[in-house]
Order: sequence, then C-alpha cells, then structure tokens
Amino acid sequence: MHTMPNSIQSSESNPDIILDVRKLRTSFRIAGEWHAAVRDISFTLRRNETLALVGESGCGKSVTALSVLDLVPSQNGRIEAEQIQFNGRNLLGLSEDEMREIRGNRISMIFQEPMTALNPVLSVGHQVAEALLYHRDMNKEEANRAALELLDQVKIPSASSRFKEYPHQFSGGMRQRVMIAMALACRPDIILADEPTTALDVTIQSQILALLGELKRDTGMSLIFITHNLGVVASIADRVAVMYAGNIVEIADVDSLFAHPTHPYTEALMRSIPRSDRDTETLHSIPGQVPPISRMPDGCRFAARCDLARPICRKLDPALQQINAGSTHEVACWVRGDHDLTAIEDRANG
Amino acid sequence: MADTLLRIENIKKFFHVKRGFPVAKTMTVRAVDGVSFEVKRGRSFGLVGESGCGKSTLGRALLRLVEPDSGSVTFDGQDVLSTNASDMRALRQRMQIIFQDPYSSLNPRKRIGAALVEPLLVHGLADKRQAHERVLKLLDEVGLPPDAANRFPHEFSGGQRQRIGIARALTVGPELIVADEPVSALDVSIQAQILLLLRELQESHNLSFVFISHDLGVVRFFCQDMAVMYLGRIVETGPIPRIFEEPLHPYTHILRDASPVPDPRQSRKFLHIEGEVPSAVNPPSGCHFHPRCPYAADICKKVSPDWHQVDAERGVACHLFDTGNTGPDYPKR
Ligand SMILES: Nc1ncnc2c1ncn2[C@@H]1O[C@H](COP(=O)(O)OP(=O)(O)OP(=O)(O)O)[C@@H](O)[C@H]1O
Ligand SMILES: Nc1ncnc2c1ncn2[C@@H]1O[C@H](COP(=O)(O)OP(=O)(O)OP(=O)(O)O)[C@@H](O)[C@H]1O
Ligand code: SF4
Ligand SMILES: [Mg+2]
Ligand SMILES: [Mg+2]
Repeated sequence: MHTMPNSIQSSESNPDIILDVRKLRTSFRIAGEWHAAVRDISFTLRRNETLALVGESGCGKSVTALSVLDLVPSQNGRIEAEQIQFNGRNLLGLSEDEMREIRGNRISMIFQEPMTALNPVLSVGHQVAEALLYHRDMNKEEANRAALELLDQVKIPSASSRFKEYPHQFSGGMRQRVMIAMALACRPDIILADEPTTALDVTIQSQILALLGELKRDTGMSLIFITHNLGVVASIADRVAVMYAGNIVEIADVDSLFAHPTHPYTEALMRSIPRSDRDTETLHSIPGQVPPISRMPDGCRFAARCDLARPICRKLDPALQQINAGSTHEVACWVRGDHDLTAIEDRANG
Repeated sequence: MADTLLRIENIKKFFHVKRGFPVAKTMTVRAVDGVSFEVKRGRSFGLVGESGCGKSTLGRALLRLVEPDSGSVTFDGQDVLSTNASDMRALRQRMQIIFQDPYSSLNPRKRIGAALVEPLLVHGLADKRQAHERVLKLLDEVGLPPDAANRFPHEFSGGQRQRIGIARALTVGPELIVADEPVSALDVSIQAQILLLLRELQESHNLSFVFISHDLGVVRFFCQDMAVMYLGRIVETGPIPRIFEEPLHPYTHILRDASPVPDPRQSRKFLHIEGEVPSAVNPPSGCHFHPRCPYAADICKKVSPDWHQVDAERGVACHLFDTGNTGPDYPKR
C-alpha cells in the first residue's frame, strides 16, 4: 500500500511516478484581465496507471491536459507551475523543439472528435505511417508494415484492405481507433485521452474502453482519461481526480471514491446520476450553476451551491487534505477534510 | 389502467439521398421502417437506440413535422395524418416538441417574453395582457426569474435555455410532448434539475411524453414504458422495470450491459460486442442486428423476424422467440 498522500508524494522519492504536476495554474486573458481556468492543482500519475479527470463542462479538464503538453494558446493563455516533472525532467522551460520531441513521442494525446485531428485527404494507413516516420527511425516500407500492425492492434477489421481508405470512409468508432493507433505509434509513456468516447454510441464506447484497457495492460503505458461521465470513470480508472471550477476538489483510488464520495460536490454529483442498473426514486439536483472564470468567488468555489457551507468556506480556499491519517483519499473541503474547524474559524475571525 | 392517448401504427419514413463518388446514386434511407407503439395518458414512453436509428425522424413524423410515407397516427381518437391544415393547427396546441438544443429553435434577436407570448396570440388563446401574465406564470413554473422575459437567448446558460424551451412548449397547454434528447447536452447536475422539473410539470399538467434519449439511465428514471429501436425498427417494447431486469432482445441486453454505471465493482467487465452500427442506407438482410448478434442463426440472415407479443405488456422481434423457441439463455448480470 502507498501510505503517502497524492499531493505530498513526489517523483524524487518515488521512481514509480511518471508525471508529477505541482501547483499548475493556467490563466486566460479575458477583456484585458487574467483569470485562472486551472488554479494551483497538483497531482501525480504512476507508471501503468489510469488517472481519470472528471468534472462538468468548463471545470478545466482539457486545459489541464493542454497545459501538460504546453499547448495552451500563447496569445491569451499563460501557464505557471512549480513543476511539471515528467520522468524526472521538468517540462517547464523546455524549448519548443524539446517540447515537440516530448509531444507525440513520449506523451501523446487523443481528442473527442477524431475527424478534426485526421487529415481528410490522406489515407488512414498513410497517416499512421507518417507518425511512425516522424517519430521512429524507419524507412517507408518498415513504417507501412508497422502501421498495418498498429491498425491490427487497435482491432480495425480487415485492416490491410482498409489501409488505403480515407477518414470519411470510417465510422466514428473506427476513426477513434485510428487516432489511438497514431497515439501509440511512438510507444508513448503517457496517453492523454480527452473525452475519447463521448461522441460515440454506448456499444462502441464499450469497445474503445476495452481496447484502451488492454493496450495499457500490454504496453505498460499510463493514461490520463478525461471525461464528464462517472460511469465511464468507474469502468476505466485506477485513480480519480474530481475537478470543480478549476480546482481538484477530491482525489482518490477509484474504489474509495465511489465507496466514500467525500467532497459535497462529488457526493451531490453521484446522487444526480440516473442509473440504468437500478431504480432511482428521486434525483438530487445541485442548485445553481458553475460561476464563469471571470467571476470566481473567494474561498471554496462550490460554497454557493453547497448544503454544508459555513462562513469560513466563503473566506478561505481549502487545500487538499487526507480524509484521515495515512489515507490516499484527499478532499479539499473545510467541513469534510480533516481540519480543526473551530481553531481555523477563530483565527480567521480573530 | 390509463387510457391510450397516442397510437402509432406501422409508420414508415424513407429518405432518398444522393450518395457516392464520382457518380452519385440515389439511395434510400429507411429511417423509420414500420414502427408501432402506444402512449398512455399521463405516462412517459421512452424511445432509445443508437445514433441514426430513426428516433428523431419518428418523433417528427408523428407530429407531421416531416410527413410519414405511410402508417397511421391516432391522437385521442383522432386520425392525425388525414387531418386538414386548419384542424392540424388546433391539434398542434395539444402536441408539442422540445429539442436537444433549444437555442437553435429560438430567434436570437427576439426577447424571451416576446417569443413566449407569440404562440398564445397566434393560436388566439389570450389577448396581449392575459398572454403577458401567463408568460410570467410560466417562467416561474420552469424556475426562471420574471426579468428573463426581457432578455435575449444568448444571455442564458444551456440549462436555462432548456427551461425556456420547456416553457415555450407549455404555453399552449399541450397534453403530449415529444421531447427529443432534452437533457443530452447538459451537465449531470443541470440534467437532474431539468428532469425533476419535467417530472413535476408532468404531474401538475397530466402530461404524456414521447421521450427520446440514448441514455438508458435517463429513460429508466423518467419513463414508465419504452421501445428499443435498431435501424428504423422497434426490436422490443415493454414496461421499464421489466425490460431492464430481463431484456428479451439480444440488442436490448447488450445495450443495457454496455451502459456505464457509476460503480467500479460492476463495470470492470466489458461487454464484447463485435462490429459497428450499420447504416440505414444499406441495412443488413433479415434481422438487421444479425451481424452483431451473438445468437444469430441461419434464419436471422435471411428472414426479418416477426413481432412476438410475449404477454399483454411486452413484445419482441427476434427469431429466438419463434414458435417452439424460448428465447436466449442470458448469463445473469
Ligand atoms: N483559449 C481559451 N481562451 C479563454 N478561455 C478559455 C480558453 N480555453 C479554455 N478556456 C476557459 O477555461 C475554462 C476551462 O475550460 P476547459 O476547456 O478546460 O473545460 P473542460 O473541463 O474541458 O470542459 P468540457 O467538459 O466542456 O470540455 C472554461 O471556463 C473555458 O471557457
Ligand atoms: N432529412 C433527411 N434527409 C436524408 N436523410 C435523413 C434525413 N433525416 C434523417 N435522415 C437519416 O435517417 C436516419 C435516421 O436519422 P434520425 O435523425 O432519425 O436518427 P436518430 O435516431 O435521431 O439519431 P441521433 O441519436 O444521432 O439523433 C439516419 O440515417 C439519417 O442520416
Ligand atoms: S433475430 Fe437473430 S440476429 Fe436478430 S437479435 Fe434475434 S437472434 Fe439475434
Ligand atoms: Mg474539455
Ligand atoms: Mg436524433
């Protein structure tokens, strides 16, 4: 068992950690002012682990992934962090050339809509082979052969006869397989998958999730899986970070998160899902909505929608804290975290 | 038992599209291919199925927003498809639709108040002052502040826009609402707000719903009866708890087990259903589902299965239920 909580554990003390993000803050300039879309989040990713980032629209999931790869648009975006340590190397301050080497080679990304990431006028096989030529030391013939193997590996049926087909001749699920093949081309250490199954039908989603699970097991890679669907989280994640309004509000092993959702937001979210596997008498709805990033309140950003909120919640921002000593389950909440509230409130008022 | 408000019989709607390159050929999309079901007064009937299976086309066809090719629609005893234009207008008051994205159906330059007043005036249901009062009451009913009437659609969040879409459907006092994926674009916390609102309104107005969704959890929560569609046809109908507890059609079974549930102990196993969703342009022979069906026999490739009414409540279209067969032997969940 790991006894150190996620946010304290570091890559220096633990070689099992492949990615160690500390105090990442990504901001955008809106009407002349900078606003944080992701605010001082810290998390680690272990080798061969699937970490799910889950949360509702606009909470900062995509921005987090884009920040790791330094892909936030620089005209109006800004990334700050204590460190983004990958395999013992800080990605912050790398040159664009060095970053390009990392992207696609060591860390690759898959998006929700594969059509936008694929070139419509090049054959599918050609595009996978290109990725190989670009990242691996191969000649054309070798690349073609390896591309076909990859298409087989992602289970494109009769891949050899479909090698020369174009993206529009593929269904959404098959295109997503092609994207996965391209992401795998350089045998990355990490795949960042941003809602890769959200646009797909459930039976196809189930196939893609199974495929990603298998590939992870066979290649030893790690996966950051972004989704807003807690059902998908339950089926693929080892560990889960729940995001709300730019913060990680809870992080835990998947079993622990679902058995003991602790942050009031996580808890409310779980109770707002109508389930297909059992009758739901009534749904719990969370009143109100997420504030826009240009109008974030002080203190805990969930306070205005939270049943448990106390005066301190609107003043001070709670940090991630173990739910009890020695636990890897952490929560950022004044009421649910392991805090001495009376002392803190006295100090805040004194 | 509640009485039948809406009866759909053998509805068909085909589209003729030009596809192919370099020589485009005219092909037939069998979007809705002989569909029948009934909706009881005050109840919600769920229509589920994967993308392109014909749910929206069916929903529109039964309101004659697209004209069906054949079949019949009976609403409260009245034959909808043979109704003339002026009577149809009166009927439209009683049958309304809500869309997935209400934004696309709202005029961006019109204030919400004006957009809601309009149908009341058009249908001659109120004078200006009454209409205005009624709109304020409606806004309150769907949980929007009165000043919403003076604002424009873009000033609202997705959830608020869906409330506006609901208010608009309610203005004319309908008895039946076709809701086409009304919560699919919303975050779960907002989705829950809208589902609760719809349920409340259903009770207070004794509304019936045809509720289209691809989310089984949403349908299980909101509806009492459902039909599962596959490539233009209904493969199974019945009351909700029974279909979920004991699906009859192999496709229903697979759909159920592929739907992710928020419980890691249950979801670890993935269902291995092979193949993609085929196209409605060129559907597979016989039972449309046979290329993906783990139970397919020879006859499934050749002959389209008949409808088997299993009991008073349930029916299925699958050869496993032909005379002498007892249905598939599913592993227990
Ligand atoms: N290029 C940008 N310029 C300005 N604001 C941005 C930009 N990209 C993202 N944002 C803002 O940052 C916040 C987080 O966005 P992000 O895309 O990470 O959300 P998300 O969690 O991925 O949501 P979704 O589930 O909708 O994809 C949002 O408020 C968004 O509007
Ligand atoms: N106006 C049209 N012209 C041509 N084909 C159409 C038209 N409308 C729908 N179709 C086709 O009919 C079939 C059924 O479409 P429909 O929109 O009813 O499906 P759906 O079940 O609502 O799908 P989704 O879940 O994606 O909304 C599809 O193959 C679609 O491409
Ligand atoms: S008819 Fe045959 S192919 Fe179709 S679902 Fe039943 S068993 Fe499967
Ligand atoms: Mg996103
Ligand atoms: Mg539709």
